[in-house]
Amino acid sequence: MESEMDAELHFHIETLAQDLVRQGVSSEEAFRRARLEFGALEQAKAECREARGVNFLDELLQDLRYGWRVLRKAPAFALVAVLTLALGIGANTAIFSVVNAVLLRPLAVSDPVRLVYLQEEWRDMFPGFAVGNFAEVKKQNASFADLCASHNGGFNLETQDVPERVDGEYVTSSYFSTFGLRPIAGRVFTPDEDQPGHPRVALVSERLWRTRLRADLSIVGRQIRINGVPTTIVGVMPKSFDPLLSNTALWIPAAFTPAEIVDFDNHYLNVVGRLRPGISLTQAQSELRVIAERLAVEHPIDNKDRGFQARSLTTALLGDQRLSLRMILAAVGFLLLIVCANIANLQLARARTRQKEIALRAALGASPNRIVRQLLAENVVLGLAGGVVGVLFAYWAVDWIVAHGPAEMPRLDQSRLDASTLVFASAIALLSSFLFGLAPAVRSGSAKLSEVFKSASVAVAGSRDRFRSFLVVAEVALALVLMACAGLLIRSALFVSHVDPGFDTSNVIVGRVGLAGPDYRDPAVGRQTFERMIAAAAALPGVESAAVVSRAPLAGLGNSNGLLAEGAAFDPSNLVDARLQIVSPSYLSTARLQLKLGRDFTPQDTRERVLVTIINETLARAMWPGENPIGKRFACCESGPKGRLDPVWHEVVGVVGDVRAWGLDHDVKPEFYIPIAQMPPSAWDWIGRTMDLEVRTRASAAPVRELQSMVASIAPAVPIYHLSTMQQKISGTLERSHFDTYLLALFAGSALLLSSLGVYGVLSYMVAQRTRDIGIRIALGASRAQIIKDVLAFGMSLAGIGLVLGVSGALAATRLLASLLYGVRPADIITFLSVSLILLAVALIASYLPARRATRVDPIVALRYE
Amino acid sequence: MDKQMELLQGTLDMLILKAVSLGPLHGYGVLLRIQQISKDRLEIQQGSLYPALYRLEHQGWITSEWGESENKRKAKYYRLTAAGKRKLQTEAEKWNRMADVIAGILGANPEEA
Repeated sequence: MESEMDAELHFHIETLAQDLVRQGVSSEEAFRRARLEFGALEQAKAECREARGVNFLDELLQDLRYGWRVLRKAPAFALVAVLTLALGIGANTAIFSVVNAVLLRPLAVSDPVRLVYLQEEWRDMFPGFAVGNFAEVKKQNASFADLCASHNGGFNLETQDVPERVDGEYVTSSYFSTFGLRPIAGRVFTPDEDQPGHPRVALVSERLWRTRLRADLSIVGRQIRINGVPTTIVGVMPKSFDPLLSNTALWIPAAFTPAEIVDFDNHYLNVVGRLRPGISLTQAQSELRVIAERLAVEHPIDNKDRGFQARSLTTALLGDQRLSLRMILAAVGFLLLIVCANIANLQLARARTRQKEIALRAALGASPNRIVRQLLAENVVLGLAGGVVGVLFAYWAVDWIVAHGPAEMPRLDQSRLDASTLVFASAIALLSSFLFGLAPAVRSGSAKLSEVFKSASVAVAGSRDRFRSFLVVAEVALALVLMACAGLLIRSALFVSHVDPGFDTSNVIVGRVGLAGPDYRDPAVGRQTFERMIAAAAALPGVESAAVVSRAPLAGLGNSNGLLAEGAAFDPSNLVDARLQIVSPSYLSTARLQLKLGRDFTPQDTRERVLVTIINETLARAMWPGENPIGKRFACCESGPKGRLDPVWHEVVGVVGDVRAWGLDHDVKPEFYIPIAQMPPSAWDWIGRTMDLEVRTRASAAPVRELQSMVASIAPAVPIYHLSTMQQKISGTLERSHFDTYLLALFAGSALLLSSLGVYGVLSYMVAQRTRDIGIRIALGASRAQIIKDVLAFGMSLAGIGLVLGVSGALAATRLLASLLYGVRPADIITFLSVSLILLAVALIASYLPARRATRVDPIVALRYE
Repeated sequence: MDKQMELLQGTLDMLILKAVSLGPLHGYGVLLRIQQISKDRLEIQQGSLYPALYRLEHQGWITSEWGESENKRKAKYYRLTAAGKRKLQTEAEKWNRMADVIAGILGANPEEA
């Protein structure tokens, strides 16, 4: 386009010159005259461009090139701006990648919106479904196109030399149709295979198939030994199919027995339904309410006051992650705002020194519109550069988060930079360019030419300084909000680290052993096997004692039972829900629980003797407040020969101190211990025939290998897994909150640094602008202390206003954190005071440096300036 | 020189439309044609010719294509579009009405006032 225009204009001049030559003028003279007559070529071209309505893209490119040149001439500014921007954009992009993977990406099942997660609801608790209730709801409901149940299990896999433990699920045959996915090889279960007595079949995950079965398609139809049972693999499910996010490697038919189908007492099933087209969640909920009422009448013992709760599957699975991820997303958002405010501030400062350049452009005919566009383009260049560096930074940060993030956060490992995160990064890069570029640009565009040239070096534009001060105040306020949140989390973490777990955690090593398979169906055989392991472990060199417990502290989960105190009427509302622990007699001494009252278990506490139990203090308080519980009895766990209402009494022989079994930051729940020799027969299956082997050693060295070979020698094909020290388990449960705390502290620190840079920048600039005023004041006899005081006062007033705004913002923000805190209130005074003091101290330092520079002003030099 | 007149503001567009309505012309040709028709009584700022051409083309009243000039060089030729034809017509009518009115005012006699 441009060259065509050139060609056309030159054609004109040459033809004109030729005509002149024809009239007898010498060719040299003719060209001179032709040019003269034509007028300024460049100006004509400019006017032509204007007239043509120049291509917006052309002009944009031109502006971008100009912006690039301007930035290259100010490398220090560009570097600082690009790096801080990269920090903001990178942090946002990385966190967004995580949020995208964990929360936003739909579950890898067909039409997840119509999937509903069902739980029972009893006394503000939400246990799983009893098989009986599942069977009834499946029969009676009209809301669900498909309804399936599953429960988790551990499986000992014998595909290689070393037996391996994998997580899996027992599922009803409707499971796969409910989630709507087909296997990549083979088929799903038939309803026949989901019947008791049918030969064992299994579906395996793509990952298990790839890592353990050599990705061999001919595996379909072949048998492998799972839990000691020959099992035919009928299919392989696609990659990422793990609808309940429970790390499932294989699926086995639930095959409920006729006895299980009428069991309304054991609540352990995950139930998922697919809503029929046109049925809303609310409609399903009201239908479930009707069914629950009917079942409560039919099965009053188990189902009185029991309801069913239905939630969207996505909420049920990912709801827990929302709060902390949103908190971190908000934190990086704040950080980006602070970064933008800082760059806007720098740009405003530069705008002052560039006023003459801009005024000159305006004088040469650039429209205000064009100047604003040009300044914006310069900021877009800055934003894009920051974005590119930020994405590189995010790439590294996502790797770090995936490697160090909490293991229990589902789908975290799927975080990566993909198209959607790159779109997000570009969007925030552009958005922030406009955020920090618009204010300076509009101001420059509207600056009056005459004023600019008149003002020379005298500071006049008070309004612009006010705007910069406003930005600094906002930065300080945002930084304080972040610091308060981080401070609360840090204090909370400190509290947690000082919580007494209730037992001696040093030199204890724990691993789970599951005695699956037909050989161990008899509880007596299981108990004898564990007793042999305890004896063998205790005999290992360096081992002080060994014990088994159904769920070691911090191992999570566990079984709970309703206890009925002797003398209370048999009514579900009199039941006290408590966690059952089945232990070997050596457990209390091995774990070093504190026996507060009564006696420990002995090997003589067998089924033939009085059934005994030891309870924790919380249960004692809940069941017999203010009384001595020793010798008192409660019924639980099994029924006598005369049927369900025939109580079996357990006599309390001891009370132990509370143990923080769910993690240091969790409340203690009622717990009771039953010796393994008195274990109710059905409890063997409740605990999945799996127990924790707990070993106390004399030194800190953990005999991992010795324990593994000991277990293998006693129970071939049975692995010991999750083997780690108690200290490691404790840090594992704190991983999550430490991760949140660490990230937030990092962002708060960056925010503090950036906002103090803001304070420093504004004050330095102010001192530089007022050199003359300061010089006059010094000449008139103002003391240096007076000058310092004035500058500091201004800096501290900015910080002070920001602080007040920040504290009120933080009071609102920290309230949302309440559920993440332990031992601190959201409005904790100590936290607020300390972060305020830190902020003021940093602001003081940031103000002092420019203040000291102000006192160095030489009045003679300052006055000569003009 | 003194028999040449400066062009009235806003009339250049109309004259260009008229010039190219008689046949396709390159920029220099437009200039020559106008001077020729006006018998050299009108002076056109050569620098302002091209912005006007580009403006008219942008507005869609004329269109251009590259062709060969009489001296065997590549040149850009402008021709009138249908819209340009209508525009020329209305502009010409407007101009004639305006000229009548102005002539009427200037030709008024004192007695009639």
